[in-house]
Amino acid sequence: MACASSLHLRRSSLPLRATAESPVAKAVLIGITLVFLGLFLLLPLVVVFQEAFSKGAAAFLHALRDPYTLSAIRLTLLVAAIVVPLNTVFGLAAAWSLTRFRFGGRSFLITLIDLPLWVSPVIGGLIYVLVFGAQGWFGPWLREHDIRIIFAVPGIVLATVFVTFPFVARGLIPLMEAQGIKEEEAALTLGANGWQIFRRVTLPKIKWGLLYGVILCNARAMGEFGAVSVVSGHIRGKTTTMPLQIEILYNEYQFAAAFAVASLLALLAIITLILKTHAEWRAERQLREATR
Amino acid sequence: MTNFQAQKRCRRHALPGLGLTLGFSLLYLGLVVLIPFSALFLKTATGGWLHFWETVTSPRVVASYRVSFGISLVAALVNGVFGVIAAWVLVRYRFPGRRILDAIVDLPFALPTAVAGIALTALYAPNDWIGSWLKPLGIQVAFTRIGIFVALTFIGLPFVVRTVQPVIQDLVAEVEEAAACLGANRWHTFRRVIFPALLPSILTGVTLAYGRAVGEYGSVVFISGNLPFKTEITPLMIITKLEQYDYSGAAAIGFVMLVASFVILIVSNGLQSWNNKRHGIS
Amino acid sequence: MSISISNISKSFARYPALNGVSAEIASGELLALLGPSGSGKTTLLRVIAGLEFPDNGGTVSFGGHDVTSLSAYKRRAGFVFQHYALFAHMNVFENIAFAFRVLPRRKRPTEAAVRERVGTLLEAVQLTEYEKRLPSQLSGGQRQRVAFARALAIEPEVLLLDEPFGALDAKVRKDLRRWLREFHERIKLTTIFVTHDQDEAFEVADRVVLIDKGIIQQSGTPAEVRSNPANDFVRDFLDLPHK
Repeated sequence: MACASSLHLRRSSLPLRATAESPVAKAVLIGITLVFLGLFLLLPLVVVFQEAFSKGAAAFLHALRDPYTLSAIRLTLLVAAIVVPLNTVFGLAAAWSLTRFRFGGRSFLITLIDLPLWVSPVIGGLIYVLVFGAQGWFGPWLREHDIRIIFAVPGIVLATVFVTFPFVARGLIPLMEAQGIKEEEAALTLGANGWQIFRRVTLPKIKWGLLYGVILCNARAMGEFGAVSVVSGHIRGKTTTMPLQIEILYNEYQFAAAFAVASLLALLAIITLILKTHAEWRAERQLREATR
Repeated sequence: MTNFQAQKRCRRHALPGLGLTLGFSLLYLGLVVLIPFSALFLKTATGGWLHFWETVTSPRVVASYRVSFGISLVAALVNGVFGVIAAWVLVRYRFPGRRILDAIVDLPFALPTAVAGIALTALYAPNDWIGSWLKPLGIQVAFTRIGIFVALTFIGLPFVVRTVQPVIQDLVAEVEEAAACLGANRWHTFRRVIFPALLPSILTGVTLAYGRAVGEYGSVVFISGNLPFKTEITPLMIITKLEQYDYSGAAAIGFVMLVASFVILIVSNGLQSWNNKRHGIS
Repeated sequence: MSISISNISKSFARYPALNGVSAEIASGELLALLGPSGSGKTTLLRVIAGLEFPDNGGTVSFGGHDVTSLSAYKRRAGFVFQHYALFAHMNVFENIAFAFRVLPRRKRPTEAAVRERVGTLLEAVQLTEYEKRLPSQLSGGQRQRVAFARALAIEPEVLLLDEPFGALDAKVRKDLRRWLREFHERIKLTTIFVTHDQDEAFEVADRVVLIDKGIIQQSGTPAEVRSNPANDFVRDFLDLPHK
């Protein structure tokens, strides 16, 4: 049986029929997996929607129309609208400089970009409090000039930027690394300037990897809780994002309302998963074609 | 032409844009990461050694270490076992719903932690859902350490599965066939051939899951009940200090967490290069 | 356009790829850079092209003018990459038209003019019927010819080819070798190509430069090199008997 080709089979390949487990063993393993994944993943998702509608559809809509909830939704959207483009620009710049050139300190930078994924989100909020908070470095100066960062929207934006900036870069760096720079060099010999090379040659090659990163960045930006919790001050109607609003409602025992807001975010999560899977598949395909 | 002039005109990179993109990236990283983190280090340093030591060794904080670091380990190990099984099943077997199940594995990445937090609490609270089944058995999950374990298992689930899956995919059938021809039954083949090949990736996944679980806040803080000395997690301690305006205390605990994360990061990087080397050969 | 390179050295992270290489290439000559893998021949080609820059002290001149610090395009050097580096998401027409599309606005030709020039180039490489195809829909030999036409679009003074026939099978290689020779007879463009295949070098080139470990071992016409190998490396590489 020729198996050399199996070295390059990808996700959608057929399973290896070489030697197989007994049907009993298979059934047991599948069973364990279904229980494990069902219990830990599916069930919580089901709970969110069930609890959201536990008092009926009318109560559900009423909860969403509450003015504080509406302002939380608005704030979440605003923060995402600022953070995602910023981090996308950063991701593109970082990926370009790290994959198209070789220089000392490159691996350190790549590790640094992964930092927020390693650090507790609470620390992600703490560091900005230490810089801009009342007892922070700029605290007195900010108070003098009546600028509020902590316990105000700019602080929330900053903390969210910190927690989500790796995603676009991490979606692009392996992709651009594997694709190589030959096409860009060819464009250079044909007279294209930097911007033309990026727009006409690089961007079409990376669009699915870029989309993948943006989708994840957005999901995390809208859902961030720990870091925002530290910097926001929980001021209702002003500095509450959707996750914080969920916390407030929950602590007030307004469970159905809390789950109503949560169900919106859960719906976003499901959409994110669908879009992400599709973008990932397209990016993998583009990568395979490039390295053929 | 003198050497100096040649040096000035000599460009080093053919592709344009290094200056602009690297400059912007460094500026961004400096503002968003380096400056705030140096504030953390400075605050820790200037808070005074005594205060630092008192804070990070106070009984309540130490109890939180046991909770955060200890339960995260159990959760990561459980994920190690069941995650491998799940990865194997998802790669090797075909059954209805497999694709959907595969996509859902990433749910903990996509779902906001607060949503997961309240969902898990509702699921295991004594009066509803699973909690109500367990109540007559005398088992309480919500507001206990078991609840924290459940939340941290949820959070770490994708790490093991996604790290191990590609390695399983690239396993060469011939090696398993050869083992079978030599008389090994399936279990032997697994133990001596397949498992050693998977081990580096399993360890990497477990370490990643551990690192994530240690710092987790949103999904845990609802189900834990936050009982001092029993179910408080270390990130919560940081928030408590901030609420008491003890900035240097918060920085101190943050510093400890950073050091721990750093150690886990180094171990994980080491494991990942081991995994890459092995994986490249398999 | 004659080419002159003097004292070119290039190291990559302390690995010396080129070591004080100098050579003269006459205008209109078809030259082969021949050597084993790792000899530095591709690096030398890229330095001549302007895709790499030599370490301090080396110079590259085109027609007597120092172009060492000029970019590839400014040198009017057409480059054909080893694996063609065609733009995968553009069809054949757009690949060849690329050079026109990126010209600064005032120099950019009209759409009709672009059509005409691309059409001429397609005819020259005999691919007129394939203009709407994507690179993935072409054979290796066809992709190679598109890469040629694309490089010629900038009306280069010098043509540089990096292992142009390396990735193709034997029959296609023979045909394309002949085609390159005929093309060169017609156009007389100064051409340098890199290869590790001595048959290819000797069959196609006017002159051959043998290079190993970043140093030029010998240079001369195929007949000269065969009859008077300069050292053991040349003898071994060309399978010539030792004295």
